[in-house]
Amino acid sequence: MSQLDWIVLIVTLLAIVSYGLYKSRTSRNLDGYFLSNRSLPWGMVLLSIMGTQASAITFLSAPGQAYTDGMRFVQYYFGIPLAMVVICIFFVPIFRRLKVYTAYEYLENRFDGKTRTLTSLLFFLQRGLSTGISVFAPSIILSSLLGWNIYWTNLFMGGLLIIYTMTGGAKAVAYTQQLQLIIIFTGMFLTGYMVVHMLPKNVSFIDAMQVSGKLGRLNAITTGFTEKGFNWSDQYNLFSGIIGGFFLALSYFGTDQSQVGRYLTARSLRESRLGLLMNGIVKVPMQFLILLIGALVFTFYQFNNAPIFFNEVQVKKIEQSAYRDSFVLVNNQYNAIAVQKQQAVINYSAATDADSKEAAAISLAQLQTLQKQSDSLRKTVKTWLDKKIKGGDGNDTNYIFLRFVVDHLPVGLVGLLIAIIFLASWGSIAAAINSLASCSMIDLHRRFTKKKDSNEDEYRLSKWYTLGWGIFCIIVAMFTYNIGNSLIEAVNILGSLFYGVILGVFLVAFFFKQVRNSNAVFWGAIAAELVVLLVFILTKINPPVFKMGFLWLNPIGAFGVILFTLLFNKLLIKKTAMR
Amino acid sequence: MNTPDNDKAPLFKSWNGWYIFVILFLVLLIALFYFFTKRFA
Repeated sequence: MSQLDWIVLIVTLLAIVSYGLYKSRTSRNLDGYFLSNRSLPWGMVLLSIMGTQASAITFLSAPGQAYTDGMRFVQYYFGIPLAMVVICIFFVPIFRRLKVYTAYEYLENRFDGKTRTLTSLLFFLQRGLSTGISVFAPSIILSSLLGWNIYWTNLFMGGLLIIYTMTGGAKAVAYTQQLQLIIIFTGMFLTGYMVVHMLPKNVSFIDAMQVSGKLGRLNAITTGFTEKGFNWSDQYNLFSGIIGGFFLALSYFGTDQSQVGRYLTARSLRESRLGLLMNGIVKVPMQFLILLIGALVFTFYQFNNAPIFFNEVQVKKIEQSAYRDSFVLVNNQYNAIAVQKQQAVINYSAATDADSKEAAAISLAQLQTLQKQSDSLRKTVKTWLDKKIKGGDGNDTNYIFLRFVVDHLPVGLVGLLIAIIFLASWGSIAAAINSLASCSMIDLHRRFTKKKDSNEDEYRLSKWYTLGWGIFCIIVAMFTYNIGNSLIEAVNILGSLFYGVILGVFLVAFFFKQVRNSNAVFWGAIAAELVVLLVFILTKINPPVFKMGFLWLNPIGAFGVILFTLLFNKLLIKKTAMR
Repeated sequence: MNTPDNDKAPLFKSWNGWYIFVILFLVLLIALFYFFTKRFA
């Protein structure tokens, strides 16, 4: 990185920390610290919800996903608008009427303490570990690309935000998220402009889109249906996005305290609803545009040489392995194909400009054949890394966008993009730490301590809980480096394993008023969790009993809780009647 | 600053108007994405 990039990076990060500290004055009680005195307008709530959901990986992974698999990843977000409507109708009015601090607090009112404890413990487990991974995931990418020390990167990624999160609580989190998102959108817009600007002069934006589309990268809508019927293992299609995505979004926005804590900061029910509904409107187009940048990066690399594998650390591993000679051969072949591809793209653009359909069809067929050959060579390298080389990782999706930034964007913009990675991480990590601290204080500390603390004591303790969770997440990030990618995968799966069940408990609470027996829902949740785990194991054993995308675990968990609870409720009523 | 809950929907007569608007907007986006996919496929 150049000196100017460093200046841009440091100034941006210091500006955010200073702004967070400047905005951290709040009343010294739990309402002020965790809910910003329930005083924020809907615009702030919207940006806070978006800033919490969008982590660094959102901005790194989505363009990489479009590069490798096309834009169909956008369908993953189709469930969000529907979930926002359901949350506005059923969840928010109840949370606000009861004036709860955490979502799980409501479950004690509705059922009992053990159901509240079970769900909050599942939240601690899932959110605590995944926030640690949120610190680690962007850090490892930055440290690999820029040669930074991973431990120091983890420390800066997870440490600086603790200063303002601990000092100012939810208010500082919301205000910094607002500024962070403004910087993030500015940087992404500039990047999109630069990608188009860097295309060859004789290639228009529409030409670039044509090339990307013809090579399968603008596939925003896919149905998941093949000649053999519906493909259940297909992760992203219209149906898994709307149904699976709806349940995932409903559990994430409706029952995960890191989100519930954001819209409870609104000054009225109206402001909470508007913030959520606006999120339902802007989220899908926003993801579409981020993915479009990835598709354009793909087009850019049709005119410029792309690396065969985007993670250089992994490439070095191959170069030091028994596959080094084979790698040189494959890489040379890949580069030769790239040259042919560039010529084919130019021929195709010229033919479409001249309206010569036959010439365009010939160039396109050649281009598609070359793309297949090129993809096959990339796959060979990925297989070596996944299966043959110790400590290898054949997934470079998260590295594609940043590698493009570092290699091709002008000085200054590189620093801004690196700063954006930090800011996107800070937005989601700060909200997560704030929510973990609020659950620790409200769902555990207040319930299990006999002494009644003063407002000042609770405020002070909440700050210590925030610091404690911040340190915990950094420690998880440090350990992740030693354990490796298996932990990242495990934690990613962890969310889908628990989210559906937590949602199911809330759905029973809201919609099944006849369920009064708290044991029915508690054991219903345990039974449904076992079913989810069983289904998951059956899809993972070798050979798998059946294949299924992870998004489907969410509806299975939610419906599992409802069915088991109704069954247990009936049995318990019968048992009571017999007595 | 705790203020009493004001729940009047802006722009529409009731919140149902907003809910329908959000869902129709999603349908419109899906339709646009479909034509986008077809246009460049």
